[in-house]
Amino acid sequence: MMRVFWTIVAKELISFLRSWGLLAVVLYALTLDVYIAGAGMQIKPRNVAIGYVDHTGGGISRKILSRLHGPEFVPPQRFLSQKALSDAIFNKKILVGILFDEDFEKDYRQGNTAVMNVLLDATAASQSFTTLGYLQSIIMDFSKIDFPVTVKSHKLFNENADNHTFMALSEMLSVITMLSILLPAMVFVKEKEEGTWDIMLLMPIDAKLTILAKSFSQVIIIMVGTIICVGFVLFGSFDISMNGSFWAFVLLTFFYIFTTAGIGLFVAAVSKSILQVAQLSMIIMMPLIFLSGAWTPVYAMHPVLEKLSLISPLRYYIEGCESIFYRGTAFIDLWPYFAGVLVLGSLLYWYGFRKIGKLF
Amino acid sequence: MRAGVIKAYILKELTELFRTRLIIMVYLMPSMILLLFGYGIRMEVTHARIVILDYDQSHYSQILTSKFEDSIYFDPTVMKIEESKALHLIKQAKADMILIIPSSFEKRLIHGQKTEIGLFVDAAFPTRATTMESYVQGVIFQASTEVGEGKLPKGMITLNSRNLFNQAMRDENAMVPGLIGLVLLVAPAILSALLIVKEKEKGTIFNFYASPIRKHEFIIAKLTPAFLLHSLNIFILFLWATYLFEVPFRGSFALYWFAGEIYILISLGIGMLISIITRSQIAAVVLTVIVTLLPGFLYSGIILPISAMDHESYIMAHLFPVMYYNHILYDTFLIGEGLDSPTNQLYLGILLLYAFILLMLGTLFLKKELR
Repeated sequence: MMRVFWTIVAKELISFLRSWGLLAVVLYALTLDVYIAGAGMQIKPRNVAIGYVDHTGGGISRKILSRLHGPEFVPPQRFLSQKALSDAIFNKKILVGILFDEDFEKDYRQGNTAVMNVLLDATAASQSFTTLGYLQSIIMDFSKIDFPVTVKSHKLFNENADNHTFMALSEMLSVITMLSILLPAMVFVKEKEEGTWDIMLLMPIDAKLTILAKSFSQVIIIMVGTIICVGFVLFGSFDISMNGSFWAFVLLTFFYIFTTAGIGLFVAAVSKSILQVAQLSMIIMMPLIFLSGAWTPVYAMHPVLEKLSLISPLRYYIEGCESIFYRGTAFIDLWPYFAGVLVLGSLLYWYGFRKIGKLF
Repeated sequence: MRAGVIKAYILKELTELFRTRLIIMVYLMPSMILLLFGYGIRMEVTHARIVILDYDQSHYSQILTSKFEDSIYFDPTVMKIEESKALHLIKQAKADMILIIPSSFEKRLIHGQKTEIGLFVDAAFPTRATTMESYVQGVIFQASTEVGEGKLPKGMITLNSRNLFNQAMRDENAMVPGLIGLVLLVAPAILSALLIVKEKEKGTIFNFYASPIRKHEFIIAKLTPAFLLHSLNIFILFLWATYLFEVPFRGSFALYWFAGEIYILISLGIGMLISIITRSQIAAVVLTVIVTLLPGFLYSGIILPISAMDHESYIMAHLFPVMYYNHILYDTFLIGEGLDSPTNQLYLGILLLYAFILLMLGTLFLKKELR
C-alpha cells in the first residue's frame, strides 16, 4: 500500500522537476512576483503633488505651505492662475490644488473665518481623502486651536501600518491558490489527454489511492514553494514579524492546499483537455480570490457576495493567516479557520473520488 | 500577403474557437472580472465594527456614542467588559476597533481639562486601519465642535474642498473605468497566449512549419479572430459601467472605442509573445496571469495615483501600457477633455507605438522551423 503510494508520489515529483519551464514559472511566481507586489506598493499617500495659486501677499499662505513636506508631499508647485492649476489637475500632474484668494490673509488677520479653497482629484478618492485629513490637521495645528479632546490611537499588530508586508502576504496567498488549483488539475488531465488515465484505473490499485498520491505530490511541491517564499521573501526581504506560531501556519497551509487541490480535482473531473482546465480554473479562481476578503473585508461586501464567500476556502485561509502573522492569535482560537478549510476540502474530495475515480 | 490563405486560416481559427468553447471564456471572463471587482472591492470603509467601552456613562459620553451610531461608517456595540477581553475580540477578528472613554470624561471636559480617548485599531489590514482611524477622529471632531459651539477662538481657517470629476466621491466612479483597463489587458492576453502554444503541445504546429504560409500571415490569421471577438467586449464593458455601475460618461465615445481597440492589440501582442516563448499551455496561462494581472492592478492608478508612486514603481508604471490607457479611460468617463488635451494625444501615440513594437517582436521571434 504505502510503497505504491510513495512510488506514484515520486513519479509525479520527478516529472515536475523535468519540466523545467513549469518549474521556472512556479519559482518566479512564488519569489520575484511576491517581491514585486510587496516592494512596489505604498498605498498611504506619499509624494503627493500639490499645486497652489496665491493671490495674497504671501505671509500666512507661505507658513501653511511650508508645513507640507516630505515624505507625504513633494514641495508645492506655484501656478499663476486658477486655469493653469486646474489644467494640471486634469492632466494628473497635480493631485491636490490649493487656492488662496485675496481675502484670505485679510480675513485671517482681522479675526474672521478665513476660507481656504481646496481642489481634489477625486478619481483617486482614497488618497485625496487622506490628504484632506492631513491638511485639516496641519491647519488645526497652525491656528493653535486648543482642542479639549485628544485621541490617543494605537495601531495594533502593525504599528506603522506598513503596507509592504501586507501586499506581499496577500500576493503570496493568491499565488498559492492559483497554483494549487492549476497544478493538481493538470496532472490528472494530462493523463486523460494522453489516454494513460484509463490504464491507471485498470491497474490493480485502489483508484482512491492513486488520486490521493497524485494530488499529494502536487501539495508537496506547493508546500516547498510556500516555505521558500515565506523564508526568502517574507522573512528575508520584508522582515515580516510573525506574532503567532509558525507551525500553525504550516499546518493551516497544508490543509488549505489540500482543499484547493480538491477544487483542482473537481476541475479535472469535469474537463477533457488542458485548454478546458485553463478556462475552468480561471473562472473558479477569480471569484475565489476576490470574494475571500483579501481586498475588502467580508462583512463590508454586498450581502449576496457575503453569503457566497462562505464557500470560499480562501476566506478562512486568509483570515487565519492574518491572525497568525499579525494578530498572534492563540492556536485554540484558530479552530474556525481549520474547520472551514477541512469541511470544504472533504466535500470536494468526496466528489472527486466519485467522479474521476470511476472508469465507467 | 495573400488574402486567400489568410482568410482560410482565419476561418479555421474561428471554427476552433467555437468548437473548443473558448468563446465562452472570451465573453464570460471580462464581464465576470468587472462585476466581481466592481462589487467586491471597496476603498472606502463602511460598517467598521467598533467596540465602545464607556467607563463614564455620562451625558457627554452618550452624545459621542450616538454620533457613532448615526454614522454609516460604523457598526458600534457598547460593551461593559475589561480592556483585555476587548483585545481578545480583535484577536479573534470579531471587532476592528476599540474606543475607550475614560471614567472622568465629562468631569474633566466641564472643568476645561484635557482628556484622552483611547483608540485601538486592528492594523492587520494597514490601509483600512489608517482610513478607519481618520474616520474616528472626524466623528470625535464633529461631536466636540457641536458640544462646544461658540467656544471656538476667532481667526479660524476653514477648509472648503471641492471634489473634481467625482463630486459624490462614489467608489464606483473611481474604480470601474480602471477595471476596464485591467480586464482588457488580462482577458485577450490569456486567449492569445493559448493560441500558438496549443498547437505546439498538440503537434499541429508542424502544419505551419511545413505549409508555405509566411510568419506575418500566420500571426495576422491567429490574432484577427481574437481581435474581432474581443472588440465586442469594449461595448459590453461600456454598458456594464454606465448602466449597472452608473458611472457617468462625459467624453467622446469614438476616442474610447479607438483607444480600446489599440489596447486589445497590445494585450494580444503580450499574450502572443508568451505563447511563442513557452512550451506548455499551463506554463503559458500561469505566466500570462502573473505578467498581466498584477501589474495591471498595481499600475492602473486604481489603488494609487501614478504621480504619488515611489521612484522604482514610478518607472515601472511607465513601462506598462495600462497607465496610458487608463489615463484616456478616466478622461473619457469622468473628465471629457478628449483629444484637445496634449497628454491624451501623447498617450494615444505611445499606445500605437507599443502595439506596433509588440507585433513586430512577435513576428521576429516566431520560429518557422523545428529548433
